[in-house]
Amino acid sequence: MEYVDAVALIKKYDIDFAEGSIVRSVDEALKAAEYPVALKIMSDEISHKSDKGCVKLNVKDEDSLRKAYSEIMSNVGSAKVDGVLVQRMAKPGLELIVGGRRDKQFGPVVLFGLGGIFVEVFKDFSLRVCPIDRNDALEMISEMKAYQLLTGARGTKPVDIEAIVDLLQKASKLLYENKQINEMDLNPVIAYEKGYCAVDVRVLP
Amino acid sequence: MNIDVLFNPNSVAVIGASRDPGKIGHVLLRNFIEGGFRGQIYPINPKSDEILGLKCYLSVNNIKGDVDLAVIAIPANFVPDALRECGEKGVKGAIVISGGFSEVGNVELENELKEVCAKYDIACLGPNCMGVINPLTRVDSVFIPTYKMGRPKLGGVSFISQSGAIGGAVLDLMARQGFGMSKFVSYGNGAVLDETDLLRYMADDERTRIIVLYIEGVRRGREFFETLKGVTKRKPVVVLKGGKTAVGAAATKSHTGSLAGNAAVYDAVFKQCKATEARNLDEIFNFSKLFESQPFCNGERVGIITNGGGLAVIASDSVEENGLKIASLSEESRRRINEKVPAYVNVRNPLDLSGDAGADRFEVAVQAMLEDSNVDALLVGVLFQTESIDSRVVSMLVEASNLKKKPLLVVCPGGEYAEVHGRILENCGVPTYTSSASAVRSLRKLVDYSKFMGKK
Repeated sequence: MEYVDAVALIKKYDIDFAEGSIVRSVDEALKAAEYPVALKIMSDEISHKSDKGCVKLNVKDEDSLRKAYSEIMSNVGSAKVDGVLVQRMAKPGLELIVGGRRDKQFGPVVLFGLGGIFVEVFKDFSLRVCPIDRNDALEMISEMKAYQLLTGARGTKPVDIEAIVDLLQKASKLLYENKQINEMDLNPVIAYEKGYCAVDVRVLP
Repeated sequence: MNIDVLFNPNSVAVIGASRDPGKIGHVLLRNFIEGGFRGQIYPINPKSDEILGLKCYLSVNNIKGDVDLAVIAIPANFVPDALRECGEKGVKGAIVISGGFSEVGNVELENELKEVCAKYDIACLGPNCMGVINPLTRVDSVFIPTYKMGRPKLGGVSFISQSGAIGGAVLDLMARQGFGMSKFVSYGNGAVLDETDLLRYMADDERTRIIVLYIEGVRRGREFFETLKGVTKRKPVVVLKGGKTAVGAAATKSHTGSLAGNAAVYDAVFKQCKATEARNLDEIFNFSKLFESQPFCNGERVGIITNGGGLAVIASDSVEENGLKIASLSEESRRRINEKVPAYVNVRNPLDLSGDAGADRFEVAVQAMLEDSNVDALLVGVLFQTESIDSRVVSMLVEASNLKKKPLLVVCPGGEYAEVHGRILENCGVPTYTSSASAVRSLRKLVDYSKFMGKK
């Protein structure tokens, strides 16, 4: 599914998302930017975008933006490009993953995990069959091995559990009601003391 | 469809009954006769007049009286016709033992079987299954001679098994461990009746207090999910899912598609439905004997009583590891115990009654903790190796357990002597374990389920 359609879909379910706009020239990018911003190539033909130098984070001013934009474009190679996403940098917080897919046997399932190394190395994630109720969502969160990171450990502040419960239920509802979706990822979702912000979305029909 | 007729028939026809003791059709008939089936038994075999003293029939249609259930053990190709004859006769249930259907790629033949059963509304188990054991009505279609595989006594656990082999092994173990069984059913290919139908049946069955489920996959995921979710609100379901590991390795990438592999989805289903997942056959036994015999557990505070300090230490570790709590004893129970034990016994929890403790000292401690409102469950570790411990502690524990005040689990590690006493305890309905780790893990499961039942 196209990025803009995916964004429209999650907004329909009232999921908080980091606003951004897709531009096709450096001038458009300069106009769209509210610093600091992140730049990211929009192309189906490029995977592992950050490894390939097609993502630039924390771009702070016009000069850096010009430089970042041209660097991205020089890393594209022969891939077909749909534009560049200019997105306001989300404030730092705790990185989470919310997603889901359609299981052949049980239908849509919703996934919750901690971002970065937690999900990759420790396989720290939880899963439920959609739709889920509030209690299911709470259990998904509390069964994480790294649960203490969410409730505040060693000086870190707790994140807004209620907001995440709400997000999980919305994601579950979205997956349950849209039978055409095969896979969805909100990755990362950045959780704060109050609220959260989904930074990227990917939907596969 | 009348599923009940599979478990409670008044009459049964054994299609493919044989004179040859080496044939399944012979063992089947023998098990019905020697097992003491209370209804009519009709052997069907066109080539014999009489088998094992019973008049033999050409076909079910030649039988004068009604036939409720047909057990079919003939080559696969002949099964659909045999089922048609059963349908004409008005047979309501069939157990198709014969293999040679979808499991070997013969999907067409299995579809034909399904069509016949649908046309005549036959409740059919199998094909490729072991069928049913009901210790109450003595229906027994498991074609294994009784000297090779014991039959469990009557009790409250019903066991639904996709696999026949696992089913057989579990039955044998249940019989040996003195486990009480309500019903056993192996459904093989599940062409007509599958795990969801049988789960629903066991949920409604008044004699079934606990359902044990062995599956490798399910046929109708969504219906299975909804059904399981409903059933656990009525009785506990202990489930073992076979074939989980191939997926584990695949779950290496961080995106959802690969994380949420098949095994993870089953885990999710069981958690969400509040089914109690067992990781192996041992856990099936460990969990279900506790669920069957003990009352719900109203909290997480465990009282530990032993006659060996080391056992108290290990048991305390298990309690911590499983997220339960060591109870702090009330003033009253400390006073009660102090009055009756020697001064060198330090009255605290975990309570080490010391190596010279006998049944009387155990009794004082057990009674005090059963009545202590600070204690939610009791773990009694008995080292049968010591001088003063003998069968008297067994009688005391059975009596205490029969009060059903709160869950009481016994741990008795050891050899022959300990094992014999452990088995007596088991047979008297006291859940007994050889390690505190397995006892406490089982208690954890009971606590979780009790919490759910309390909330619902």
